[in-house]
Amino acid sequence: MQEYKSIGRSLPRTDALAKVTGEALYTADLKLPRMLCAKVLRSPYPHAKILHIDTSRALKLPGVKAVVTGFDGEGVKWGVFKSTQDHGMLPTDKVRYIGEDVAAVAAVDEETAMEALELIRVEYEPLPAVFDPEEAMSEGAPLIHNQYPNNINIHVHIEVGDVEKALKGAYLVREDTFRAAGEAYAMMEPYAVLAHYHNGYLDMWMPNAGPHVRAKALSNLLKIPLNRVRVRRVHIGGAFGGRSEVQPADFATALLSIKAERPVKLVLSREENAIATRQVHDMIATIKTAADRDGKIVAKVFKVIYDGGAYSSTGPIATSIPYYVYEETYRFPNVRYDGYRVFTNKGIRGMYGCHGRAFLAGNEQQLDMIAEELGIDPVEIRLRNGIGQGEETATRSKIISCGLQETIKEAAQRSKWHSKRKGMPRGRGIGMGCVAIMCGFPMGFRSGSSCYVKINDDGQVTIVTGVVDNGQGNESMMVQIASEVLGVPMEDINLVNADTEVTNLDPGAYSQAAAFVSGNAVKRACEEAKSKILSLASDKLGVAAEDLDLKDRMVISKSDPQKQIPLRWVVREAFFMGSPIVGTGAYMPKIDFQREWVKNPYGQMAGTFSFGTSVAEVEIDQETGQVRIPHFVAAHDCGNPINPMAVEGQLEGSIQQAGVATVMEENRWDGGLLLNPDLLEYKVPLACDMPEIETVIVRSYDPEGPFGAKEGGLTIRMNAHSAVACAVCNALGVPVKELPLTPDRVLKVIEEVKGK
Amino acid sequence: MKVNFKVNGEEVSVEVKEYETLLETLRERLELTGAKEGCGLGACGACTVLLDGRPARSCLVLTPEVEGREVETIEGLKEGEELHPLQEAFIERGAVQCGFCTSGMLLTAKALLDSNPNPSREKIKEVISSNLCRCTGYDKIVEAIAEAARRLRKGQDVGMEKESH
Amino acid sequence: MILPPLQYRRARDLKEVWELYELYDGEVSFLAGGTDLLPRLKLRLERPKAVIDLKEIGELQEVSEDEKFLRIGSLINLFDLRGDERVRSLFPALLQSLEATSCETLQMRGTIGGNLLQDTRCLFYNQSEFWRRAKGFCLKMGGQICNATGGKECFSNYCSDNAPALVSLSAEVRLLSPQGERQIPLEKLYTGEGERPFALLPGEVLAEVLIPKGESKGGYEKLRMRGAIDYPLVGVAFSLRDGRGKLSVAGVGPKPLLYEVDELTEGGIEEAAERASHDARPVGNASLAPSYRRRMVKILAKRLMGGILKEAER
Repeated sequence: MQEYKSIGRSLPRTDALAKVTGEALYTADLKLPRMLCAKVLRSPYPHAKILHIDTSRALKLPGVKAVVTGFDGEGVKWGVFKSTQDHGMLPTDKVRYIGEDVAAVAAVDEETAMEALELIRVEYEPLPAVFDPEEAMSEGAPLIHNQYPNNINIHVHIEVGDVEKALKGAYLVREDTFRAAGEAYAMMEPYAVLAHYHNGYLDMWMPNAGPHVRAKALSNLLKIPLNRVRVRRVHIGGAFGGRSEVQPADFATALLSIKAERPVKLVLSREENAIATRQVHDMIATIKTAADRDGKIVAKVFKVIYDGGAYSSTGPIATSIPYYVYEETYRFPNVRYDGYRVFTNKGIRGMYGCHGRAFLAGNEQQLDMIAEELGIDPVEIRLRNGIGQGEETATRSKIISCGLQETIKEAAQRSKWHSKRKGMPRGRGIGMGCVAIMCGFPMGFRSGSSCYVKINDDGQVTIVTGVVDNGQGNESMMVQIASEVLGVPMEDINLVNADTEVTNLDPGAYSQAAAFVSGNAVKRACEEAKSKILSLASDKLGVAAEDLDLKDRMVISKSDPQKQIPLRWVVREAFFMGSPIVGTGAYMPKIDFQREWVKNPYGQMAGTFSFGTSVAEVEIDQETGQVRIPHFVAAHDCGNPINPMAVEGQLEGSIQQAGVATVMEENRWDGGLLLNPDLLEYKVPLACDMPEIETVIVRSYDPEGPFGAKEGGLTIRMNAHSAVACAVCNALGVPVKELPLTPDRVLKVIEEVKGK
Repeated sequence: MKVNFKVNGEEVSVEVKEYETLLETLRERLELTGAKEGCGLGACGACTVLLDGRPARSCLVLTPEVEGREVETIEGLKEGEELHPLQEAFIERGAVQCGFCTSGMLLTAKALLDSNPNPSREKIKEVISSNLCRCTGYDKIVEAIAEAARRLRKGQDVGMEKESH
Repeated sequence: MILPPLQYRRARDLKEVWELYELYDGEVSFLAGGTDLLPRLKLRLERPKAVIDLKEIGELQEVSEDEKFLRIGSLINLFDLRGDERVRSLFPALLQSLEATSCETLQMRGTIGGNLLQDTRCLFYNQSEFWRRAKGFCLKMGGQICNATGGKECFSNYCSDNAPALVSLSAEVRLLSPQGERQIPLEKLYTGEGERPFALLPGEVLAEVLIPKGESKGGYEKLRMRGAIDYPLVGVAFSLRDGRGKLSVAGVGPKPLLYEVDELTEGGIEEAAERASHDARPVGNASLAPSYRRRMVKILAKRLMGGILKEAER
């Protein structure tokens, strides 16, 4: 493998200095002259007709500068697909969940805005509501949207091979139903928006995971030309999939700014962030697995119900993602998948970094039970079924690079699997979870990214890319790639990013694309600039361009290092010649765009795939049912890691957010009321709850990835729950079918086992 | 009402509402936005500042309560031009991701190291369990604090040697 | 999250407290560490005209001893108390309950008086005004029914970690008011009614916590989801002194319950744990299932008492 100067090194991130000094500005920190403060009036009903909204009294309150409702909008609805455009942001017909945005006020200060909310009169006619997805699907349930019969938002049906035949011929068939409560994203930064409408332009700041798609949505909703909606770069306090889409808060704040002709800032409370941005799907997964005598999976049949909440959101995608990441892990010759996303009168559910724990932890536990029945070790059954390079997934995605087997072996070895699995004392267990994740995701023409680079007259570099950083280190990664190609230190590189006025389309940071897609675009742009530099330097030095390279701010001959010239001299020469050094580069992942999420779910899903394996150890208190996780190993194949330290950070965070979450995190409900919209009763694991962690980066090389890199953000986030559930299953001898594994649920299982 | 106190070593005299929290005063009136509001109810620690050297949730302190007292925020952690060893270690060890918890985490860690120059890994974990982080899994934060403690001890040793010469 | 308008008054002594109390017609809240009060004010759970800051009252900040008692001023913060040598060596139940309280940062702010006088909690009550209006006000908010059970009784839980530890240590509290002074056993401070959990006279201030001197064996067991920050879902304290045991349980009802355990045998322990579990009145208003929490009262009480007896035998 090639040696790199910068790639593959654990380097400090470019954004870290601003963050440790408190200088990094997040949306709530921003202030503009004459800025107003916004507050939102929310629905106290889970389901009710809006009969009338009277804002006149609020408008008369001194200090109130604007009040808006859905009636001030253009009546446009948003949805990620044409067929799912059902969200008008501020409703005019009826409210569909408690906390739904109904009206918004902009006033000179927060107190006045709050007082004004009290003066808005909304007449509602309460309607019967439904909170359980199975109930919502049944005949006679209250209909939440007229255009979706039986409240079925999306039904994804996938059929591969001959399932019935395979079931008949199988040696062993097992069927179980697993349930999991939805989680809260609980990103540390509560949602906030600053909107500034001036001279016909709308400038917007908000934590977002894709500025370009956000600007497009706002342009549609507000009927403002796209070039006049400018989503600006700002520091972002976490996303995890929950900041992918346009929010009612964006729309309301923009409308207020347009009306008041002043900048308006809206900062949500923690509770509002929990009930009125995005939540995670609750899920019921019925899984049937058929295996042959050797433990090879011969068929899979799935019925999965996703509680979607009140609107479509990213539903069309969320309804099958857990399945796809699983078929990208193991060979399924015959499959039937039926995924239903169902509307209920609860908050809107979106994609999540750890999406699908009922499905994934369920499948992996079932695999262990099958292995047990056949006398095969869980590691062995995973190796036997694990997909490999050159193979195709059930729905025909080709795997161009694959380190799955290595992650399994590495995780097993580091966790001392083979000695531990056999001799575990009572109440202890060890479990493994595997998963793959797509890199470069189908989003139509938005799947690709592009980058511009210019070399400035002092030899310093400016790169311009749409890539956004939610905290994972995407910005730094782009700078590191540019540094590698252009042979200048990272501090010589300025990054302009995530600002729709100057940057070009990028798939965003919610679709596993930053390293693989955006990174490739940055690399290509810098390579174009490099070739221009080398060609010019070749004339100057009298050395063939192929013999030249960029290193330490110099152009240097590879064969005769004495022959060199400072980069900035070459750049100045280029200015003289009237052709400054600039480069552009773009990358579009090789995806089958005939493929479609619902109508045609077959064909190449992504450019390539990352793989990962988690191993968790658990200790269960037999009297209290409390599960402790003393040790956790995560092994990840992300190709050639660009910044190993950043990748490790992703793995460690995943162990917290998916692994430890498995024993404590859930949104709890009282009908349509979220019982824990705070950070006290919603249990984000603390430092003292964390296991000892070992992370392993299994280095491989992806032929398409920039410097062989693939995505480093997920996998462990989507299999750490499996490892914990499998470990508990190992300790108790039976699968645990209801997540999270809170002590009351675990004790119930312990008692059931005892009772048998 | 007027409240007089010290912020990052400087005397300030601020006109505030009697029912204003220290977090609001710092962010809105003194434009020290490094302290963040993550929950407003004391559950997350993102608003942590040092009050007379001890960590406090500034969202749970009324500004009038700090009359005559000393407040240190993240903006005051640097020593002149120099980063505090904790800041250096957080950068170098990858302890920062989204950064929203970072200010509070650093100040909690500073109070710890000020009173205990050689905390065990377990002690560090216990103390920073006052602060939520959603990104890092805390591992690199613990490492960074341990590393900063080492550097601070080394720095003190060097200082002592100098004195004795 | 902003606070509703209110006035801030600092009292230099108790006389001033009571003058201010009169001035605002009793519509005041006493402010010590603020870790319980500020969230309550922000959530609009109480709406005083003024908060009276007690923190400068010197007589409430001392730890002293007389012949009978270790006397702890109510303004002493939990962290400092945790560091007190006498607490560390004489009162293990209290030391463990202090360590188990929330997290270090909040221990440094929260006071022992405030901790004992923290209001009862419920998932249907400790919510924003928006939330409570959407649900309809509960008994504790002056409504007609309990939102957790639909019944006519308030099931909010008293969630101090330190109260059961102090009750197990036979602690008393000294209360001062314009009407005079009284000293009562700590467990008598509680009414057992979720809506109004404290038996305090108008303007009465908790001045001191008094723990009978002398060595004790003991401990504190806490059921919680996370290793820090969380309130107890069940809190069980046990102290053993002069051959007599006292068990106290909190977190599963509106007040800490006390059980004398005179028979220090396996049977005696079993019986006390059983009684405590029987008396617990958990409902579905906290993180874990109520039937589970009731069972944990017994499990944790037995585990705690068994361990301490074993230790005492050594």
